[in-house]
Amino acid sequence: MWARLSAGVLPGFFLAATLIGLVSWLLPGPWESTVVPGLLAFFPLWIGAICAACRFTSGKQAWGWLSVLALLGLGLLWLLQTSGWIR
Amino acid sequence: MKLKPATLRTFTTLHSWMGLIAGFALFVAFYAGAITVFHQPLQQWATPHAAATATLDDAQHLLDSVLAQHPEAREHVGMTFPGYELAEPTAYWQDSHRTWLFATPDNLAGSPTPPGASLPELINELHYTLGIPIAGTWLMGLVSLLYGIALVSGFVIHLPRLLKDLFALRPGRNLKRFWQDAHNVIGVLSLPFHIVFAVTGALLCLLFVLMMALNPLIYDGKLMAASAAAMDTAPIVQKADIAKPLSPLASWHARSIEVAHGKGIANFVPGYLKLAHAGDAHAVVEITGTSPRGLGGGAVAFDATSGAVLATQLPGARDANHATLAAVYALHFGDYGNVAVPWLYFLLGLGGAFLFYSGNLLWIESRRKRRQAEQGRSSLIMARATVGICIGVCVAISAAFVAAQLLPWLDWNASTGERWACFGSWALCALWASWRAPLRAAQELLGLAAIVTALVPLAHGLATGWWFWRSAAAGQGGLFAIDVGALALAIGFASLARAATRRGRAGEANSVWAVEPR
Repeated sequence: MWARLSAGVLPGFFLAATLIGLVSWLLPGPWESTVVPGLLAFFPLWIGAICAACRFTSGKQAWGWLSVLALLGLGLLWLLQTSGWIR
Repeated sequence: MKLKPATLRTFTTLHSWMGLIAGFALFVAFYAGAITVFHQPLQQWATPHAAATATLDDAQHLLDSVLAQHPEAREHVGMTFPGYELAEPTAYWQDSHRTWLFATPDNLAGSPTPPGASLPELINELHYTLGIPIAGTWLMGLVSLLYGIALVSGFVIHLPRLLKDLFALRPGRNLKRFWQDAHNVIGVLSLPFHIVFAVTGALLCLLFVLMMALNPLIYDGKLMAASAAAMDTAPIVQKADIAKPLSPLASWHARSIEVAHGKGIANFVPGYLKLAHAGDAHAVVEITGTSPRGLGGGAVAFDATSGAVLATQLPGARDANHATLAAVYALHFGDYGNVAVPWLYFLLGLGGAFLFYSGNLLWIESRRKRRQAEQGRSSLIMARATVGICIGVCVAISAAFVAAQLLPWLDWNASTGERWACFGSWALCALWASWRAPLRAAQELLGLAAIVTALVPLAHGLATGWWFWRSAAAGQGGLFAIDVGALALAIGFASLARAATRRGRAGEANSVWAVEPR
């Protein structure tokens, strides 16, 4: 359980952050207008990621999936931000 | 709903671990938090009840003196209006060392100690830091997260039987089932309340840490610059470097009500103000107030020399950031709606405390060795800790209440004395429980809690002459509620002590709760 739990805590943190970032920046209007709702929604998302991580069959799988998803999401977000497609 | 046995097993383990780590802190947070709901009447209860009423003229005098005496306050100063938290207005600002100073009409020089009684702040500190300085807030933020995980996992474990067992409360020989039913029904029925607290508690404790972490990650390093506009109402204005006198405070007060009225808020009550660049032509004042019909108050910002409106964030006309922030505060502190809301929060808070207490009992019960007198070491430690910490904090809080009344009466310093009474009695209770048989300790500490809590209205009456019947006759609902509430809690503790005695006589012998456990 501890391997899966740690997957939820670490890569899960980045995954939750990525989701907040993508939604906040992709919504119409400036990202600044959703700062507080984003910070608030982060906690249930992170808790959700931790609980979801515990449903994987092994710690390795949980770490793998969550890390890949978080990295892909963060990469997409940074790409969109640096290219100036979203603001 | 069907769940895979493996999932069920994982979530049961997760739930017990989260409860084990966070349960004690959550008990303290909920018991102290339930009392903190009444921080305003508590402030009145713990200060000598002088019928002092301050006016806007007193507030004007305070503001003028503070601005004249303290140049730092001219940059930024905050001030509460008379009747908000305290009868007297309070001005506060940061000096050149960034220390907050507080001034009142009686103390224009300012001091680092906030005015008013220290008891409400002590209970509040227990609620959000357990009394641990600095790191306590972060610790409680983490506890809120663990609590969120415990809520999800607890809900999932219970899901297959959720509807069928919702109103089942089965007393009888199987005590574990009875406690399990009680734990489940309170958990499920107050789930919305608990979700609110897990999320808002985490945000209030960890907001700054989270902002630091997310800023480079997803906000491109621009979050700190954007946060002022997202959380304050007044825009940041550069100084004009042209001197111009402020318009009178009373005109700001009237102006904020007028502006709110124009935005459809019929009864806006100004609570406190923030003033920037006093004496400059670009002085800005932001007035935050409450509106009884809205979730959370609102704020109006205008030019402090001309009264021209700069920005408003009022219920029904707020942006997403301010609406969320106002909702977080209102939902966490229960300051919306009518008088029923604080009472509901109080009862749900006590219910929450029961949830964590019963969780610990269930942890012990599910590890009980039924066929032998000798029980596991961990069960014994858990039983002792549960009694010492949970019942101990009930004794400690009541002891602080008694000290808050008796110490000033004896001409001693209440602020330090309360802390000693609180943390000293808590430590002694924990020590007592670590040494006695758990059942004996429970009996004795519950009895002690009943006595000390019953002393609360007695100390109040003796020290101030405000016995609860006098408060009732004078229409002082808050004072009356605290004294009578303490009596009701004392009766509650006494009946729990009796139940513990009964358990010792008639209960299962193969248990840590036997009179002589092994």
